Amino acid sequence: MIGLARFYLAAILVFLYLPIVVMMAMGFNESSLYELPFHFSTKWYVALAGNDQLISAGINSIVIAVITAVVSTILGTMASVALARRTFKGKTLLQLMLLPPIAIPWLITGTAMLVFFFWTGIGRGMHALLIGHVALAIPYVVLVVGTGFQTIRADLEEAAMSLGSTPIHAFFSVTLPLLAPSILGAALFAFAVSLDQFVISYFLATPGFTTLPVQIYSAIRKGFTPEINAISTILLIGSMAAILVFAIFARPGGVSDKR
Amino acid sequence: MTNVEVSSVAKTYGRTPVLADISTDFTEGSFTSLLGPSGSGKTTLLRIIAGFITPDSGKVAIGGQDVTETPVWARNIGMVFQSYALFPHMTVAENVAFGLARRGIRGAEARQQVDRALEMVRLPGFGDRKPKQLSGGQQQRVALARAMVIKPSVLLLDEPLSALDRRLRQEMQVELLRIQRETGLTTIFVTHDQEEALTLSDKVAILDRGRIVQIGAPAEVYERPKTRFAAQFLGDSNFLNGTIANGGVRLADGTLVRCHGPLSSTGNSATLAVRPEKMSILPAGTSPEAGLNALAARIETVIYAGPALTYVLVTPDGTSLKLFAQNRDGTVLASGTDVTLAWSPDHTIAVED
Amino acid sequence: MQPEAVSASTTRGPEGSRARPGIPGWLATLVLLLPTYGWLFIAVLLPLCTMFVFSFMNATPMGKAPIVFTLRQYQVFSTQPYLLGIAWTSLLMGFWTTFACAVLGFFAALALARATIGRTRETLLILILLPFWTNGLVRIFSWTMVLREGGFLDDVLHWVWPGAGSIGFLYTRSAIVVGLVHGYLPYMILTCYIALVTIDDAIIEAAASLGARWWTILFRILIPMAAPGLISGAVLTFVPVLGSFMEPRILGGRVGVTMGTVIEDQFTQAFNWPLGAALSFTMLAVVLAIFATFSGVLRRGSGAVA
Repeated sequence: MIGLARFYLAAILVFLYLPIVVMMAMGFNESSLYELPFHFSTKWYVALAGNDQLISAGINSIVIAVITAVVSTILGTMASVALARRTFKGKTLLQLMLLPPIAIPWLITGTAMLVFFFWTGIGRGMHALLIGHVALAIPYVVLVVGTGFQTIRADLEEAAMSLGSTPIHAFFSVTLPLLAPSILGAALFAFAVSLDQFVISYFLATPGFTTLPVQIYSAIRKGFTPEINAISTILLIGSMAAILVFAIFARPGGVSDKR
Repeated sequence: MTNVEVSSVAKTYGRTPVLADISTDFTEGSFTSLLGPSGSGKTTLLRIIAGFITPDSGKVAIGGQDVTETPVWARNIGMVFQSYALFPHMTVAENVAFGLARRGIRGAEARQQVDRALEMVRLPGFGDRKPKQLSGGQQQRVALARAMVIKPSVLLLDEPLSALDRRLRQEMQVELLRIQRETGLTTIFVTHDQEEALTLSDKVAILDRGRIVQIGAPAEVYERPKTRFAAQFLGDSNFLNGTIANGGVRLADGTLVRCHGPLSSTGNSATLAVRPEKMSILPAGTSPEAGLNALAARIETVIYAGPALTYVLVTPDGTSLKLFAQNRDGTVLASGTDVTLAWSPDHTIAVED
Repeated sequence: MQPEAVSASTTRGPEGSRARPGIPGWLATLVLLLPTYGWLFIAVLLPLCTMFVFSFMNATPMGKAPIVFTLRQYQVFSTQPYLLGIAWTSLLMGFWTTFACAVLGFFAALALARATIGRTRETLLILILLPFWTNGLVRIFSWTMVLREGGFLDDVLHWVWPGAGSIGFLYTRSAIVVGLVHGYLPYMILTCYIALVTIDDAIIEAAASLGARWWTILFRILIPMAAPGLISGAVLTFVPVLGSFMEPRILGGRVGVTMGTVIEDQFTQAFNWPLGAALSFTMLAVVLAIFATFSGVLRRGSGAVA
């Protein structure tokens, strides 16, 4: 039975990674029509360097992702501290309020933002994208930092206070250093979430300012060319790297369970 | 001065009163245990003295100063937590130096005091290790050093030994006692382990459902319990119910039992407590020495534990009694044997319910 | 430590300590919470409210035309019956995706929980979850490489059986489902795994000792006990799938018409924002109804999502 289980898991992994591998491989194939036999070539990556639209979209994506990561991590950590360490009524309600960005289909949230920003004159473009991305990333940050909080016992801060620390000093000298890995992980997470975000970006982008996923989508709708494979591969490796670093550092709760 | 005074302290959570009108005095340099089952309020009382909880009413004074409104970080207390609460990201030395730094003591002077503190808890040279590299007992001692190095007015310990295994716990009890004697710190120690309380303390305070039921030296509290709860929680106890008559308490079957201390008016009902180890077994029908109480009973169960024997007996009117006997000569009485129990009136205490 | 004159130590309290605690507690809490919730209020709640208002408008408010309020948009299912068909397609798509994810995912989680240990298991978990957190668009695009005529599938086929026709099924409904399953399977595996991993070995051994065979254990013990994980994974798959438009468009082409694509059209092509808003809110109502129905299970089942 175990052999069957292992074989099944291998099959699942194949299912999950096969398309990705194929897509990446085709980015290195000479043929512009994806025809076999396979001839290795980096010409599509070279062509990419000259594709101003994709490059500027890529830079936009990274800039937005970095700003999103910073802002959402700061905001989310502050909220997390309040939720974890302070007592007040209505905590459950506040925690529920973090769910809409993740739980509601992004189509609905994205179009709602489009409508609202139009009506209030905020419009679309970089600032709109930032507002949207940060709103999306905050719940994830609160989740990751919140999970990190659970591993820090409350009596550590109490011990610090019993030794003469004011609550603020206790937070900065004891809790924050222990929380640092989670905060870093949350920032990485937020970065990846922003980088990969398509739906919200789709509605809030303008022809003048767009993000990489949106640009890739337009390119796909026009037709398949291996340049798309090249840029997709780069994007994929970028977000996979961020997530892998996160997985190693922040040790998210559900994954590191041992039996 | 480092005495602690608690006056009329009360605390209620929601609709549950956790502490009700606690007033007591912890004299300078004394070692007092707060003993009680979970839910008795002992930890709440400790945390009120520490300053983590503000009482709903009443005052707390340390060294004569009213600290009820002072936050915990300004009270100059030293606290050892049940889980030790060592800062995992700091070394042992940094942990111990933490309180010193808050008091402006850094650098060479701090290092000196840290070394001395570690020596006092018999962990010299451990300064560079991290908490996770230490065993439970070692972590405990570091927690103690950290709390003591700042020369607190009072040392508060919240069930610090409950996470250790039996052997280690006994070792640490000896250490704790030694350190407390050497430093003369006023110490308040919370525990649910009665043996620990008896062994370590100058005074034991028994708490039950938010009230101090009895407070006194270990021997006094053990030999002269005031209430049924005190008699039952600290050690084992037999209880005899009867009515007060001239000279003692008359049981249902007519036996007159004499007891220690004055009784209230004749005719009232009374409960007498007798500890199992204070009774001796005589063959059935024997008259004991003059002045001793006697009661007929039959052995129901015999528990042979090696050095000690426990007999569970039942009297003719159905009262169940327990008796601890030393296994002096290896003879074990059989279940079903009729015997006479004898014990001194001095060991018979009238207790409140 | 020499027993010093105790009185000398008691007067020296820690530096920086005052009798007054400083900032009032409630203010500190407010300062911590306001930025986040203020942001969410402006970026999520207000937009949703605005869209709600828009859904009652007659036409997209542009320029000087007066705004007319009407219920017309919400009646669109009766005035344009073809939308019912599309809604049905979307629901079916959601159902098939969720079902496939549930079956495939449950058994994968089972295999993980019971046939792997320690390092291997952790590595496998990370490997399985990794694609979930990467770009969905790129993953869907990858499937076009496999499913298109002349794509990977066909290449494999022709390698084995040259001269055969094409089995590429891009631009079909099945292609959409395959892409969606690929997208949400890792998450389903995670939720089922978390639920399964808490099942004590001893329970299964007890069942076996009472004579249960593997199918009894599976259907009477494992599946019911893993139900919270299954349900929360299913809900959090079904809901996003309902709203998807990128996957249907890319993998379905002309066949890929779903509620998601219809709504998207209203905003980007037809500029009928009120209709888009009304349809969005109808979908939101369905989503909220689903969440409400399963709220108990969801709270228990969706432990660590990260």
